[in-house]
Amino acid sequence: MSTPAIQTQGITKHYAALQALRGVDLSVPAGTLFGLLGPNGAGKSTLIKALVGALRPTAGTVRVLGLDPLRDRAALRQQIGYMPQSPALYQDLSARDNVAFFGSAHHAPDLARRVDEVLALTELSGRAGEPVRQFSGGMQRRVSLASAIVHRPPMILLDEPTAAVDPALRARFWQTFRDLAVQGTTLFISTHLMDEALLCDRVAVMRQGQLIACAPPRELLAMGSTRLTVVTENGSLQSSIGSRPEDLALALRAFGLGHEVRGIEIIPDSLETVLLRLFGQQDDARRLQ
Amino acid sequence: MTRTLYVTGRVTRQLLHDRRLLALSILAPFVIVYFFKLFFDTMPPGFPVARYAMPIDAFLVHFLAFLLCALVLVQERTGGTLERMFINGYRREEVIGGYVLGYLGLATVQALVALVEAVLLFNLRYSAPILLQLLLVVWLLALASVLLGIFVSTFARHEGQVFPFVPLIILPSVFLSGLLVTVNRLPGWAQVLSHLLPLYYANNAIQEIILPAGNLLHQAGSLAVLCAYSVVLLFLASRTLSEVE
Repeated sequence: MSTPAIQTQGITKHYAALQALRGVDLSVPAGTLFGLLGPNGAGKSTLIKALVGALRPTAGTVRVLGLDPLRDRAALRQQIGYMPQSPALYQDLSARDNVAFFGSAHHAPDLARRVDEVLALTELSGRAGEPVRQFSGGMQRRVSLASAIVHRPPMILLDEPTAAVDPALRARFWQTFRDLAVQGTTLFISTHLMDEALLCDRVAVMRQGQLIACAPPRELLAMGSTRLTVVTENGSLQSSIGSRPEDLALALRAFGLGHEVRGIEIIPDSLETVLLRLFGQQDDARRLQ
Repeated sequence: MTRTLYVTGRVTRQLLHDRRLLALSILAPFVIVYFFKLFFDTMPPGFPVARYAMPIDAFLVHFLAFLLCALVLVQERTGGTLERMFINGYRREEVIGGYVLGYLGLATVQALVALVEAVLLFNLRYSAPILLQLLLVVWLLALASVLLGIFVSTFARHEGQVFPFVPLIILPSVFLSGLLVTVNRLPGWAQVLSHLLPLYYANNAIQEIILPAGNLLHQAGSLAVLCAYSVVLLFLASRTLSEVE
């Protein structure tokens, strides 16, 4: 089995009375599109900052690409791309100048050509010479993404890259992420949008500084239930079954599937519902402690 | 070194693109020197204008270089670009070096503008070597001011927190550095404070240069202290500008 791209053990981070991270254990396989899902304030940004070496955890160990983000930060920072939650761009400079400046830190070969490539990829070529302050929020996110990937890093960490981005641009971003993952790049993406989590290979769910689940999105969905309504000539029967396909087959077999069945309506829990239930279980467990 | 120059290039491009800031930075000393001219014109004949003109120039450069550098670095922190620079692989010595070179360029232009204006407005007849010596002193003071700005910026979470440092660090220079009154007429404790201010050493050097038989070498100690001031501030700034939260 190959070494995980990210491995954390028991990371905690305290800010005075606030516990931003509470013992996070995480393993991210290399070459995957990994989602970090959680509500605002869950600790996602804090975790990402610990992974890129911008924050010193109170306790615990972190390895990214086999390196310690604090001790080996010079070596690690040459191998990662980072897109922060805020645009973090020089507003008076053009899109091209911003991307070139962040790319130049890596001594990337053929930087000028590579800057053109990423500006084209993020559909900014036509306005590359304009100051960033004239751009909309979505365009600034594109400049920020281009700055994160310009040096072709093997790992990219993106902190809510699609926040305040319109649906069409969001779809294009996710297509870019998928393309990068296909090429072997590891992507670690935080989001609070449930539908985005479904686009990942694997999702870790975070709340109140803790990881409460980590699985492929289909497995997370399978943790929910499906409301089954069987409508007959005599009325309708409702039941709740598991969300796996075999659960439905079992339920229908038990029912008999006679000719009187006119239609079957299936309303599975959304990922959001599943997670809200998980949050509730976490609260119950905490109350019992 | 290459990455230091990338930072310098970026800082300089930013300054050149922000025409309003650039114009105000150069216009401000220009206007203030003119106001001093109006003030000095009200003085009785025989008033030693030369004793005040150049030190005031030096103070303006000191004040503006400190304030601009501190504010822009704090903006970098609040805007997230400072953190992004570090995560991209820029190191703090490269960031500090890039800022020093970039803002020293601006401070040099400010010093030149103020110097030329003062010479013309106050009708000061200095030879070229004297002017070059004055420029050297103001330039060394600007270097210390930029580094002071970088150092102070590490204690400010937002732009507003920079301003309390102005009355704390910069304004006392007006009264304690020998600009307005001779330092040895101040109380003992104030004289101790004077020796902590870079403008005190710059003023000593300037007063020596403008003497009819002045020799800058007589103030070599002041120049050395100005240089040492920059070295110490460079060291302190490199300790306090943190790459890790």
